[in-house]
Amino acid sequence: MLKARPRERPNRLWPVLAAPGVGWLLLFFLAPLYVVLAIVFGQRDPVFRTAVPVWNPLQWDPTQFTYVLTRIGPDGVYFPALVRTVVYVAAASILCLCIAFPVAYYVSRLAGRHKGLLIALLIAPFWISYMMRMLAWVNLLQNDGLFNWMLSFGGLFDPNVDWLTGQPVVVVLGLAYGYVPYMILPLYAGLDRLSQSMLEASRDLGANRVSSFVRVTLPMCRPTIMAAVLLTCLPMLGDYFTNDLLSASPKTAMVGNLINDSVQAPGQTGQAGAFVMLVLIATVVPMIYYVRVTLRGDEVRT
Amino acid sequence: MPVPIGSGPNRRQFLQRAAILAAAAPTLGAFLAACSKPAGTQGSAPSLTIAKPDSPVKWPIADDNKAIGDNLPPEKGATLKIYNYADYLSPQAIKGFEDQYGVKVEVSTFNDGDEAITKLRSGVDFDIYNANYTEISRLVTGNLVRPLNHSYIPNITNVWPTFTNPWYDQGWQYTVPYTIYTTGMGWRTDQVPADIGKLSNPYAALWDPAYKDKTAIIDDFHTAMAMVLLKQGITDINTSSEADLKMVGEQLSALVKATSPKVTITMYSDMPAGQIGLSQMWSGDIINAQSYLPEGVGPEILRYWFPQDGKGLVDNDMLVTLKGGKNPVLAHLFLNHMLDPAVAKENFSAIGYQPPQNSITPDSLVAEAFIPENLRSAIVKPEYFETGYRTLELDADNDAAWHNVWNAFNAGGS
Repeated sequence: MLKARPRERPNRLWPVLAAPGVGWLLLFFLAPLYVVLAIVFGQRDPVFRTAVPVWNPLQWDPTQFTYVLTRIGPDGVYFPALVRTVVYVAAASILCLCIAFPVAYYVSRLAGRHKGLLIALLIAPFWISYMMRMLAWVNLLQNDGLFNWMLSFGGLFDPNVDWLTGQPVVVVLGLAYGYVPYMILPLYAGLDRLSQSMLEASRDLGANRVSSFVRVTLPMCRPTIMAAVLLTCLPMLGDYFTNDLLSASPKTAMVGNLINDSVQAPGQTGQAGAFVMLVLIATVVPMIYYVRVTLRGDEVRT
Repeated sequence: MPVPIGSGPNRRQFLQRAAILAAAAPTLGAFLAACSKPAGTQGSAPSLTIAKPDSPVKWPIADDNKAIGDNLPPEKGATLKIYNYADYLSPQAIKGFEDQYGVKVEVSTFNDGDEAITKLRSGVDFDIYNANYTEISRLVTGNLVRPLNHSYIPNITNVWPTFTNPWYDQGWQYTVPYTIYTTGMGWRTDQVPADIGKLSNPYAALWDPAYKDKTAIIDDFHTAMAMVLLKQGITDINTSSEADLKMVGEQLSALVKATSPKVTITMYSDMPAGQIGLSQMWSGDIINAQSYLPEGVGPEILRYWFPQDGKGLVDNDMLVTLKGGKNPVLAHLFLNHMLDPAVAKENFSAIGYQPPQNSITPDSLVAEAFIPENLRSAIVKPEYFETGYRTLELDADNDAAWHNVWNAFNAGGS
């Protein structure tokens, strides 16, 4: 009897508690996704060439989807942009991780009495809009900006570097700068929860600082790191804004720019939808992996 | 809180539920379809009438879309909503109108015509839209614009006669002219020592690797691609020739390789800031650029080239009143306000774009030193509208072909 009770009550309670979340997902994720599909495979207004969604899957027309699909192969016009996206996002994520992990580690484990202040500082970037932070870089990097002035040692010689016209490195650094706060916070949350007794145990059992970090801290942090990387990777994949502000050159176009360009071109909303679907498929796979990893992590802990 | 293990669905239950959900998805579609307006795309596709200088068009006026009556009082305490490019309307002109009629004016902005039309279609209640004549057929066919009652707009007599009966709107039933401009090349002498205007083909300078990372082209598919056609000596800038479009695509790829231009419409501030040294440019933007120069840099470094025989891209924008607007009388009065010579001139000095006003002539602009010596080539002359090339509205298939080339370019480069 004692065992059966907790099984019975949650059977009603938990679904009720989950209902708002499930409803939210249905309304704001699955339904919009269906709208995107209806537009990708839909029709176009003959005069304005705006997208006309077709709701019945039996009447779907794959023209726009195949238009995109046939152009993303290694010879396709969209291939360089897709490769570029992967490279930029990977580079920016690695850079983010290299910056964020030590910061998060320090704040969570070594900051001592300054911890409160440091957490407040970590949250500070969220008070300033992403756009403002990028525009600040536009200001710093423009030809007569502070950065070139520093490079010229106060005007002694002319570095003559055009940072804002299609430099891949600027876009990658911009992405890393923009998204690093989003990585530090989850990493901090994960590291802060690390069980102190486990670390003490590893030291008691003879591990030195390095090996206890490599063999205990890192493995225990893996789900956290995965979550933090995903949290920054996914928005970066769809980012077009950083690119538009810091480069605006086709040379650095990413998939987010392709989506933005096709959304704004009449008659090509379907193509934009096709890119959205491709990004979605490409991100769902690692997402599933992540969910599995975290579930396994929970099993270990319980 | 302990999580009850084993009380949730197991894998089989989960799969079953997922299957039920998936099976139910089409009914969701039917539900959404019931909510949406009838698409009405099944029948014969209406084709667009395309106005051209040599085949002027008098647009029909729909029975359910008549002009407003005469002598109506302006709406009281209203908010007049204007849909316009950013930095394309003088704050002082707005203020003057607000004070005169005791109303509020609210300006919303867009980046290009494509974006604007998409939004207008979604049923917004803007009163006034800054249109380009390449959109007029869609605006009229789609019943988005309201015909004008001329009795509210006596100031029409102030504009160049060609614009009181333009080929794109015979009898100015829907439009009044707003600005006129040419599209040429702008550069800074401190970054580009060569006199671009003296080159045998000034457009080709954009392909010169010497200016790598210093260039820009206008972020408008038609304006930019028309420039490529002109550079190649093709003057049919509304071509539907597949070979021509393919050539434009190749030229654009070569352009990315050679100079990797920015694709933007903010050259009026990027060039003064020094990010851009050489750019395809609207005449109004180079005039406007003077006011964005940093302290210590004089306007004498700015240059503009447009073929002085007028064989280049000439354009005009216009103001229209929208059918969805709530303040049609105020909208008419605002159009009239902007055609007032003093307001038009103040607006010109604020935005850099010349209005086609009789009182503003190339000679008067020079005489009053309104435009500095080095930018006189940016003055728009009436005769340009006889010799220049006009970008026209494209039919749907051709428009798609142009956009595909443009999007491939925007994705492009290595």
